[in-house]
Amino acid sequence: MAPAHITQEQADEFAIGALEPQVATLVALHADDCPECRAMVAASERVATSLALGAPRRVPSPGLRRRVFKSAGLTRPGLLGMAVRVATAGAGVAAVLVAVAAFTGMVSVRGEVRDLKTENAGLQSQIDDALSQKVEIAAITRRLSDEEQTSNELRLAARGDRDLLLALLSPESDVAEVFSVNDSGPAIGRLVWDEQQKKVWFVASHLLPRPAGETYQVWVSSGGRYFSLGTFNPDDSGFARYETIVPAGLKSYESAVVTIERAGGSPERTGPSVFVTDLSRLRR
Amino acid sequence: MGWHGNPETSGVRSVTRAGEFARPAEEDRLARLGWTDERLMTAIVLRDEPAFAVLYDRYVDLVYSASLRVLADPQLAEDATQDIFVRLWRRPEAFIADRGRFLSWLMSVVRNRAVDELRARGRRRRREAMGPGETEEDFLAAIPCEQDDPLQAAQVHEEQILVRGALCALPADQRRALELAYFGGLTQQEIAFALHEPLGTVKTRIRLGMQKLRRALQDQR
Repeated sequence: MAPAHITQEQADEFAIGALEPQVATLVALHADDCPECRAMVAASERVATSLALGAPRRVPSPGLRRRVFKSAGLTRPGLLGMAVRVATAGAGVAAVLVAVAAFTGMVSVRGEVRDLKTENAGLQSQIDDALSQKVEIAAITRRLSDEEQTSNELRLAARGDRDLLLALLSPESDVAEVFSVNDSGPAIGRLVWDEQQKKVWFVASHLLPRPAGETYQVWVSSGGRYFSLGTFNPDDSGFARYETIVPAGLKSYESAVVTIERAGGSPERTGPSVFVTDLSRLRR
Repeated sequence: MGWHGNPETSGVRSVTRAGEFARPAEEDRLARLGWTDERLMTAIVLRDEPAFAVLYDRYVDLVYSASLRVLADPQLAEDATQDIFVRLWRRPEAFIADRGRFLSWLMSVVRNRAVDELRARGRRRRREAMGPGETEEDFLAAIPCEQDDPLQAAQVHEEQILVRGALCALPADQRRALELAYFGGLTQQEIAFALHEPLGTVKTRIRLGMQKLRRALQDQR
């Protein structure tokens, strides 16, 4: 079942970090799966970037570049190497050696600090990885849950197919052809009535989809009154297989009719008919 | 002129500064100056050191400025900048070109890194950096709408001037709400609490602010 899409407002709030963390996680997970929403979030992030671009321009200290390259492992020994070269050139050997020794001590301490920072950055990276994996696991769990639901729906559909097949094979069942009315197009349908399973199926194809706010509703008439058997809508291909139970307490059936009613169904038959069939010859 | 694309003069640090170090080879670095961000990132994945140097020079001021805006502490901002670039070198594959522009991704990383640091320190250090009598709200709302100084004016890229113009055109309350979220690391609930305003008012300001910013930036393209 597809979750609701992200709104423009949510994308904007996500991009500037204004959402509560839990909501932000949901938005991120959804955007990860939905290309349309991902594009919307990316567009919002471009706008949010302008906030950073508009910040007053400041320049870091000149030593930052060296520290970054050193931490990234890109700096080759420079100052120490120069000192060695100076020493080997023989200029001021003793003074230089003392200076180098002192400097080396400082470098050593600084080096340790930098190593610790590097180690800290490494640990932070591992934490980030763990958090990323946690989010990925949550996404996988959700997908598995969706697939399990889909599997259950398919299992129920297969069971329904089996019951319908048994009804068609049963000597206790009747199949009535239903006739389309007016502009119901090329639609064809059958009503299967199985007293043994106490079930009724209405199967039709080439049905026109109903607009939002409308639905098909099946009725059976008995003693001049119409009793609802429920509502249904066709799938994208125009096929519908609606299953319900044989209405209890009715002694005779005269006809069945499919009408167009408001979404959710009507308590009384009010809409135009799409199909009718004669049930007077069914066994009871 | 659009605000997309790679910043050039303002983002690129001077060649003389890069010359402090013998590597990467200067000619290699110069050869990559015209590359797009995405091409540089592809090269960085392949461990191309000159490409990293060019990307660093192009964006270090921007990364540092945004970090400083959040943290209000030069040392912390430098630490954050260092961490961001080191991670970029170590894990360049974290940027997925299909998912959006490099600059958007980078600024998102910068903002998240700085806000995490800010939250870890409970905003104490930022309060210490404010002027006497200045509130956190004042501090964050204080994006200057004129250039800070002639030197900086010369360095700021034309696109950034346009962006700043769009920001300054926003009503103050809308800009403040956006900045409290983006630079202050506050959720809209926290902003409502800080400003003593209803949550709905804050949401409206953010929505309208982003709408106007989006429209202004589109008009500039």
